[in-house]
Amino acid sequence: MTLAIKVKGLSKSFAVKHKKTGFLESLKSLFNPTFSEVTAVHPIDFQVEQGEIVAFLGPNGAGKSTTIKMLTGILHPTQGSAEVLGFNPWQERAKLAFHIGSVFGQKSQLWYHLPPIDTFELMSRIFELPRADYLKRRDELIERFELGALMNIPVRKLSLGQRMRCEMAAALLHRPQIVFLDEPTIGLDVVVKHKIRDLIKEMNKEEGTTLFITSHDAGDIEQLCKRAIVINHGQIILDDTVSNMKRQFLKHKTIHLKLQEVPGQFNVPGVKLVKQKGAGIRLSVDTSQISIENVLSYIVQNYQLVDVTIEDPSMEEIITHIYEQRREEVD
Amino acid sequence: MSTVAKYIRFALACWKLNLAGAMEFRLSFFMTAGMMIINNFVWIFFWQIYFHRFKLVNGWDVSDVMMLWAVVAGGFGLANVFFGNADYIGNIIVTGQLDTYLAQPKPVLLNLLISRMSVSALGDVIFALLVFGCFGKHTWSGMLKFSIALFLSMLIFVFFSVCVQSLAFYVGHSEGFIGQELLVTFATYPTDIFRGMTKVVLFTVLPAGFISYMPIGLLREVEPLFFGAAIGVVMLLVFGGTALFYRGLRRYGSGNMMGMRM
Repeated sequence: MTLAIKVKGLSKSFAVKHKKTGFLESLKSLFNPTFSEVTAVHPIDFQVEQGEIVAFLGPNGAGKSTTIKMLTGILHPTQGSAEVLGFNPWQERAKLAFHIGSVFGQKSQLWYHLPPIDTFELMSRIFELPRADYLKRRDELIERFELGALMNIPVRKLSLGQRMRCEMAAALLHRPQIVFLDEPTIGLDVVVKHKIRDLIKEMNKEEGTTLFITSHDAGDIEQLCKRAIVINHGQIILDDTVSNMKRQFLKHKTIHLKLQEVPGQFNVPGVKLVKQKGAGIRLSVDTSQISIENVLSYIVQNYQLVDVTIEDPSMEEIITHIYEQRREEVD
Repeated sequence: MSTVAKYIRFALACWKLNLAGAMEFRLSFFMTAGMMIINNFVWIFFWQIYFHRFKLVNGWDVSDVMMLWAVVAGGFGLANVFFGNADYIGNIIVTGQLDTYLAQPKPVLLNLLISRMSVSALGDVIFALLVFGCFGKHTWSGMLKFSIALFLSMLIFVFFSVCVQSLAFYVGHSEGFIGQELLVTFATYPTDIFRGMTKVVLFTVLPAGFISYMPIGLLREVEPLFFGAAIGVVMLLVFGGTALFYRGLRRYGSGNMMGMRM
């Protein structure tokens, strides 16, 4: 497989001004400011193959956006090297920009007072698309993203979901080989999130587009990505497939039980009663201490069972666990 | 297609979009442009009162002063119609709004400058043309000289701002940066009323003198020394401003502010 992104020892530091509270300190800082260097991204290494969908995860301030900005040529790194589609992003920014697309959930490239069709026209000039190619691609995206009815309405009058669909279509006009999506589903309702995720998957399947996604939404990772890179405090703490990640951190399972009668106390090591409402109970099982099979046999032997459901922890819980585990290690 | 042709097509598309965006609100569009024309004519009215009583001001007659207003308003107008982001560069840098421009395969400075149009500046351009219609020399050479004066004046306004605003990369914020308004303040008075240090300042750090002397040094009669110096200053501002901007770009720190293109 060909590499789409190759990162080696990439890091970024910023000089941050420090000032203690109070007017006198402000005055002191005016004439004698003190700065310290804050490392936003410690030297990181990773590679992404063409056609992969990679989740780039981390809590706020972890260094996700800074990394994406270095990979798109927006920021110059402090140290290290990166190749995106064979280009050095910060030295060959303009050349690279023809081959990549970016959607920043919080930064729009659509003109607020104009209909999306006008921004699309400008994009065709910015990316120097031949007229016939542009029109064909535009119509294809309008159909795929169901934008027909929205194309002539000023952007300010579109809902957030409609705007995001337009943003994504605009970022795809020039058929980018890699798309960087920074929080693509931020603020969207469940239905629109599903729609956006379906479109992203379709784009990857049909056009082989490499996708590099940052998101705080566990659903995005679970439904879209095969691989996840987790970054925290500017360091990569996990780089694995999403299925491995789940397996590795699936140390707990939840069992919902509906029994014939109200049960007594559960005194099984590794099993914790989370909630009880009459004969309905929820148990949390630590699978490193006891297997689910043993818990179920214990229940069947001791109680009259009406119904049982076994649940894995949600992706959100897994990610929270990874972040917290790392924090404990740091502390 | 050559690179220059591609840039021109891109700039034309961007200007068309800016104008379309400005015309989205019809009443506001006409009012803003109209009010600027009226505002400028108020100053013309005051100068007319002056020249009704006195024939000259330090050797400048009524048509020189009127052409001074045409050159200043026209240059300022063109700068803000076609390169309306010039005075906002500092704010765009410190709020991290350059990301959108950096993600596109076009020269960042050009892309940034042409992405905003000031509607009121359209009024300045119309005003300049009206004043030229009334007081200018309507010959081919007169029109050519007026066009050159507007072009040089526009470049001084734009790249003076680029120089000043690019300092935001180095000092970290843009509050208190002087803008084109200060150039306008000094450029709308005949250059010859200023003496000593003030005159030195107007032909060096605050190059308003190169705009305000156009009616005498270029329109009335071409003074080679002034004309050459004006071209030199424009080139210095264009190349210096561009270098300052691109050098600063390496220090750009982005940001997390939400942004929309208006």
